[in-house]
Amino acid sequence: MSTTDGPTLIPDDASAQEIADREAKMRRRKGWFPGLSDRWNALPRQTQWLILIVVVVLAYLLPILNPPLITTEPGNNWQIALAQMSVYALVAVGLNVVVGYAGLLDLGYVAFFALGSYTAAMFTSPDSPYVHIPYLWTLPLAMAVAMFFGVVLGVPTLRLRGDYLAIVTLGFGEIVRILATIIPAMKGQVGFQNVGHPPGTDSSGQPIFLNSSGTPWYWLTLTIIIVVLLAAGNLERSRVGRAWIAIREDEDAAEIMGVPTFKYKVWAFAIGASVGGLSGALFAGQVGFVNNQKFDIATSILFVAAVVMGGTGNKVGAVLGGSLVAYIPLRFTAIAEFKYLIFGAALVIIMIFRPGGLLPARQSLLAYGRLAYNKLKGAMGDIPASGKVVLEPGKGSGNE
Amino acid sequence: MTLLELKNISVHYGRIQAISDMSFSVEEGEIVSLIGANGAGKTTTMRTISGLLTPSAGSITFGGKDITRMKAHIRVVQGISQAPEGRGIFPGMTVEENLDMGSYGRKDRTKVADDLERVFDLFPRLKERIKQRGGTMSGGEQQMLAIGRALMSNPKLLLLDEPSMGLAPQFIRQIFKIVTEINNQGTTVLLVEQNANQALARAHRAFVLETGSITHRGTGKELLANPAVKEAYLGVG
Repeated sequence: MSTTDGPTLIPDDASAQEIADREAKMRRRKGWFPGLSDRWNALPRQTQWLILIVVVVLAYLLPILNPPLITTEPGNNWQIALAQMSVYALVAVGLNVVVGYAGLLDLGYVAFFALGSYTAAMFTSPDSPYVHIPYLWTLPLAMAVAMFFGVVLGVPTLRLRGDYLAIVTLGFGEIVRILATIIPAMKGQVGFQNVGHPPGTDSSGQPIFLNSSGTPWYWLTLTIIIVVLLAAGNLERSRVGRAWIAIREDEDAAEIMGVPTFKYKVWAFAIGASVGGLSGALFAGQVGFVNNQKFDIATSILFVAAVVMGGTGNKVGAVLGGSLVAYIPLRFTAIAEFKYLIFGAALVIIMIFRPGGLLPARQSLLAYGRLAYNKLKGAMGDIPASGKVVLEPGKGSGNE
Repeated sequence: MTLLELKNISVHYGRIQAISDMSFSVEEGEIVSLIGANGAGKTTTMRTISGLLTPSAGSITFGGKDITRMKAHIRVVQGISQAPEGRGIFPGMTVEENLDMGSYGRKDRTKVADDLERVFDLFPRLKERIKQRGGTMSGGEQQMLAIGRALMSNPKLLLLDEPSMGLAPQFIRQIFKIVTEINNQGTTVLLVEQNANQALARAHRAFVLETGSITHRGTGKELLANPAVKEAYLGVG
């Protein structure tokens, strides 16, 4: 197939490619940490694990270290601030499955958070006339309840796309809050006090998980975040994860590649909802009080802002974004009143200088790339089934 | 043997009728072209066959099986694969990831490698750019990728929606050459085109589509010689 014959004035293969390459280069912006994800992926597996372990240990030590400058004291108790940040981080990780992986804009995520909180409150608080169960049991229960409502909401609405889905989810977010106001059993503004907590007492006979002690709650939530992150990482690399990415990129194209798009969208919704419910239950336990005032639309938007700030589609970014959204008003109490103004400005600035968020999502696609490469190669029989192919760092980025 | 048959198909977008009472069939091993102007219903026809749209009346059979109500992702497994209009590749995925998605519905992983070889033989360019993101490639290469990705499901019927759209004449000739080659390897091709000249020259049979119904039909050569078609679509007359 020669492409060299014919008039030379019309752009040929090579020059058209040159133009496309140049345009692609111009569109790419230099971030604050250029090539961070490439460099991370180039590291050997052991080094990656080592760095991760150090980061995790540091994260566990945060409430004890109470690092100066970073700490929220004297304005706010640092340990409780950490507990709240970890809950927000978990929320962002869950919402990231919906918004980041599958690309479904859910503006009513607070509803699942609320469902989780109410589940924990109504089954543990002495204010509730219903059956009482140990607090820890409410965690899986909250996940199940939220997941159920995720499917109930998802099945009729996920046939909608883009803007329409966003509007319907926005409505759902309000419905839960309003129901909490008008249904007597949910006690509206009076709410539920003394929500339960995990068992255990220290040497002086005091319960470990007090509302006033943030550290145990922080450690509990951090542990749950790590488990959820590991699960999310596995999902990302699975068939489901690949289907989500394809749906996010182009839903019609995904469908005609053989991806059951509707089914996987409901999956994303249900999984995201269950994490939202879980974080709601943790929130209720830590604060110890649940009423209808905490689950407004602004909170929902804040959750989305956390995911977008962190880097839509990147789970580590979501942890960062979620923590930041909770941290900023606690650290800078003087300006906490203007937090939405500050978030708005921060979002605009981040979108200008780092359009993919603080940690953009290409990292996760690269992980998929390695898998796709292995699979296609493995199918050819070039390498043994167990063999891991390590790509040269320079090759991974192509000529982007 | 008849591979695909559309019987009295009508398609509506809300209250607007895009296709009315259309019937045609595609025989196994053929290249069939649908030509027509903007808004004639070409893409609607393609999307109806691939399952992204549901007809309001009529029936579609594929390989003797009624698929009128079958979901799009199941039709892929049955052997219908589409390279969508405007290329429709996954822009954030690399060439490799795009091709991998093409084989998503398949269970026979060992044969996937053969099909990958076949795609690389047809489009050596894709092999050179295997690590490049789809969205950063030139229009011609994106079209190659879209066709290559559609072939990765090892289809019996390949649907090509305007493969020449927005491409330089050099690319158009090359793409059409490859379409003939794919057909020679045993894949039936249904082609939708505005570029009537090439589409008719390459086709065994062809149909002319005007505002939702077929107005002319015949072999590619017959339609090329037809004065009415000449005047309307070939720019001579």
